[in-house]
Amino acid sequence: MSTALVKPQNVTRSNRKWIIGYSIAGAFLYFVYQFLLNWEGLPLGIYDAINRWMPPAAVNESLVYVIMALGLNIVVGYAGLLDLGYVAFWAIGGYCAGWFMSEFFYFLKIHFFGAVPAEAPGIHINFWLVLIIGGFVCAFFGALIGAPTLRLKSDYLALVTLGFGEIIPQIFFNGENFFGFNISNGTKGIVQVDPIPVGFKDLGPFDFGWKLLIFLFLAAVMVFISLRLRRGRLGRAWLAIREDELAASMMGVPLMRTKLLSYAVGAFAGGLGGVAFATHVNGVYAERFNFAISIFLLAMVVLGGMGNVWGVILGAFVLSWVNGNGLSAFGALYNERFGTEIDFASFTFLLFGLVLILMMLFRREGLLPESRLKLVLHEGDIDEREASGKKAR
Amino acid sequence: MSNVLEAKNISVAFGGLLAVNSVDFDIPKRKIVSLIGPNGAGKTTLFNVLTGLYKPSVGTISYEGKDITDLPPHKIASIGIARTFQNIRLFGLMTAQENLLVAMHSKLKSGITSTILRTPKQRREESEAEDKAQYLLDYVGVGKWTYEFARNLSYGDQRRLEVARALALDPKVLLLDEPTAGMNPQETGVFIDFVRRLVSEKDISVMLIEHDMKVVMSVSERITVLDQGEKIAEGTSDQIKSNARVIEAYLGRAKEGRA
Amino acid sequence: MAKSAEMQKFKGTPGQIRRQRIERTGAIVISLVLAAWILVNLLKSPQQVAQVAVLGLRNGLLYALIALGYTLVYGIIELINFAHGDLFMLSAIFSSYFITVWFKQDESNPAGWLTFISALFAVMAFGAVINVLIERLAYRRLRNAPRLAPLITAVGMSFLLNFIGLKWNGSTPRQWPSVIPNNDIYIGEVRINMTTILLLLVGVPLLLALNFIVTNTKSGKAMRATAQDKQAAALMGINVNKTIAFTFAIGGAMAGAAGLLYQQSIGTTNYNLGFQLGLIAFTSAVLGGIGNLWGAVVGALLIGLVQGLNDGLPIAFGQQWSQTVVFAILITILVFKPAGLLGKVTTEKV
Repeated sequence: MSTALVKPQNVTRSNRKWIIGYSIAGAFLYFVYQFLLNWEGLPLGIYDAINRWMPPAAVNESLVYVIMALGLNIVVGYAGLLDLGYVAFWAIGGYCAGWFMSEFFYFLKIHFFGAVPAEAPGIHINFWLVLIIGGFVCAFFGALIGAPTLRLKSDYLALVTLGFGEIIPQIFFNGENFFGFNISNGTKGIVQVDPIPVGFKDLGPFDFGWKLLIFLFLAAVMVFISLRLRRGRLGRAWLAIREDELAASMMGVPLMRTKLLSYAVGAFAGGLGGVAFATHVNGVYAERFNFAISIFLLAMVVLGGMGNVWGVILGAFVLSWVNGNGLSAFGALYNERFGTEIDFASFTFLLFGLVLILMMLFRREGLLPESRLKLVLHEGDIDEREASGKKAR
Repeated sequence: MSNVLEAKNISVAFGGLLAVNSVDFDIPKRKIVSLIGPNGAGKTTLFNVLTGLYKPSVGTISYEGKDITDLPPHKIASIGIARTFQNIRLFGLMTAQENLLVAMHSKLKSGITSTILRTPKQRREESEAEDKAQYLLDYVGVGKWTYEFARNLSYGDQRRLEVARALALDPKVLLLDEPTAGMNPQETGVFIDFVRRLVSEKDISVMLIEHDMKVVMSVSERITVLDQGEKIAEGTSDQIKSNARVIEAYLGRAKEGRA
Repeated sequence: MAKSAEMQKFKGTPGQIRRQRIERTGAIVISLVLAAWILVNLLKSPQQVAQVAVLGLRNGLLYALIALGYTLVYGIIELINFAHGDLFMLSAIFSSYFITVWFKQDESNPAGWLTFISALFAVMAFGAVINVLIERLAYRRLRNAPRLAPLITAVGMSFLLNFIGLKWNGSTPRQWPSVIPNNDIYIGEVRINMTTILLLLVGVPLLLALNFIVTNTKSGKAMRATAQDKQAAALMGINVNKTIAFTFAIGGAMAGAAGLLYQQSIGTTNYNLGFQLGLIAFTSAVLGGIGNLWGAVVGALLIGLVQGLNDGLPIAFGQQWSQTVVFAILITILVFKPAGLLGKVTTEKV
């Protein structure tokens, strides 16, 4: 216990090293996908391998999941509130892009630094602005959805979020005639959203390398926000609520306000991710926003390590890769080699279910745990005295 | 006005059960008063009412002349009524320092944007808060555990940390719920001296729930006795010692009372 | 404890009274709106209202059987067993295989009837065994863990069962023949299918039997004691693990029976059946007051009725909003009356 006199690493401030590491990793990815993959001298074997195991679209999609999972982590990992309806924010963010960056409102003609010719019908607002709009619209809805749940016990709260997570996508799904208005094109979806203007160029649906950079940047913004908030006044209040809600309120932490803020900040990330995803798939499709997505995101947070930003990134990357590409690529390879016809893609349910169950049973702190959570989640397992005796970091 | 806190005619009902029945009491400025009574007498319930966790069915509570009956718990805490818990409720996996910083939540101003941008003002505020936390940790005698997780502290230190956390609220009234439970006589002695020092050095009034009669008799300016939710006696330790109803409440059901 | 004269009159703090008043007004408003809605429809087409009400109540009975599993488990270990709906789904598939594939019955004759009855016992045993296994393998280890852990495990379990259903049933809905008579009888102009009557004939006795088990048998008393206070129950010599396993078993058996009845009356199975029906059933349990057996039944009948009316009436949101209607009910109840219609309020101990 004597080491406690030294500031442990997890409480030191302004640890900026991650930015360097992150930039290097990002630059590497960018290099691979923007240059290496387009280089004519690249051996065909490597080209095929990359395209088979980690095609550009899959990397970008994983990054969108990273953004989302970081948002969910604020709600689940920091504040300890189980949100089973996070997909609602994905949908709202997506439709923000659909509404403000396409020809959906064909009867209008509003342009604001958009990346389309001035005569195009519809609302065309600049991507970066739409990101912010999407973020704030989601934050608003996050608080709105959160508000009625605040007085509820944790498991009821999970249900209410789940309820909203079902209602909101259903509204979009049936949105072709929502009290007489078409708000979403229903099942047809909103196809084709505007390119992303980055000054020298407009990024269309197939500019994977450049969009990779943009998604990397958005994820970095979320990492930055998460880390800073975690170490500030608000982050401490979230953690205190996660630890002991009642004691927190007795120590002057306004529960409602603090929880609402966690919903709002978490939902903000959902908005960013939703807008990013819309540009990634070049459209908004109602049937994509289903309950499974909420659980996928939860599994990502759980697998990586609730509360730890790096763990969550790892979890999101691994699981979204497996879900999007890895499993089917592996299945194709396996079937090819052994002449079988197993539908590997259908194993995602098994995989995500097992991840949730096994992690909770055997490694509740996740793959890359936040040091403190490791202890709280094994509360029942360790004897108090034993824990304090062993402890030396 | 000599009373910092006054509770009038407090009743608390849970369903049909009356946990506290028409109790009046007050806490004088810079004094130590005690609340005693057999188990289930309603002592902790009364604390929960004072801190806003339960709302009284009947009755009013005023603090420094203001009615605070309907304030939510966090407001009550931030205007200066702090408490500790019978079974320690620290934020176990936050450091000792963070525990105190949580209690300063209402005093700190920085919002989301200033925290994300880490403005000079926010940084100054944080470092001031940390200094204050360190001062309080030193003051209660757990200064060397600043960066240790609260749950790793020894039992006595956890009790002390809980008091430090309560003090971080800058309270005028400190409610201690069985603070010496689980302490040996020597630790108890040290703790009691500490509470005395607190009252004399800081502008604080203390209300104590305690089972250890020796502690109660030696430290309290005034003792209130509850039994089955009703106030059965109030007075100095000598008056209480000789009060027939108190003796009956304790001895008459000696099996229930731990004292 | 003593009650003074003043407290006899006590109805609550001003806040509580205000809340009660809001609750009461809300309840009246909602009932009035519902009544007006039904009345308008009734004036327009009385026969149709009766018709969809019958259908709705039939579904309600199914929901009740599933809801009981939720409410029993929540009552005893305070866990929302997300996997329960999927257990129902698996039971439906099991029944299909039992009757159609293994015993090759596809029409209503004495052999078919016999198979149906054996299927009832088999599927109830199936549901009970699976549910007990789930508890034993996953939930038991997490009984003292923070609330989040078993909840997440239950969600994972739901996915796992979903996968089994997917592999067993295939990814598309499957049609199955029914071995119970499919003719209609008419009361006035209202058509009632024989399956509905069969549902009543099986479902109602099951509910009564369950009620008997919980209120009158030794195991039932152990269950209620365990639900109240696990430690005290253990001290009184109750085997808590066994009691909890028993609770899962009867909850699972009910879901099993519901699976068979669903499969035989609707005739289709699908791997994602459990999620929707499970949530509807859970909503029913919450509506009635979770932990309360008859509450679950009342809630389920109400939900079934409202859903049936919404899906089938000329003036209603229509079937595509079915989910939204149910979830809106869930949210409204949880927010304004978390204790449910028949439940009672609890306060947190400090």
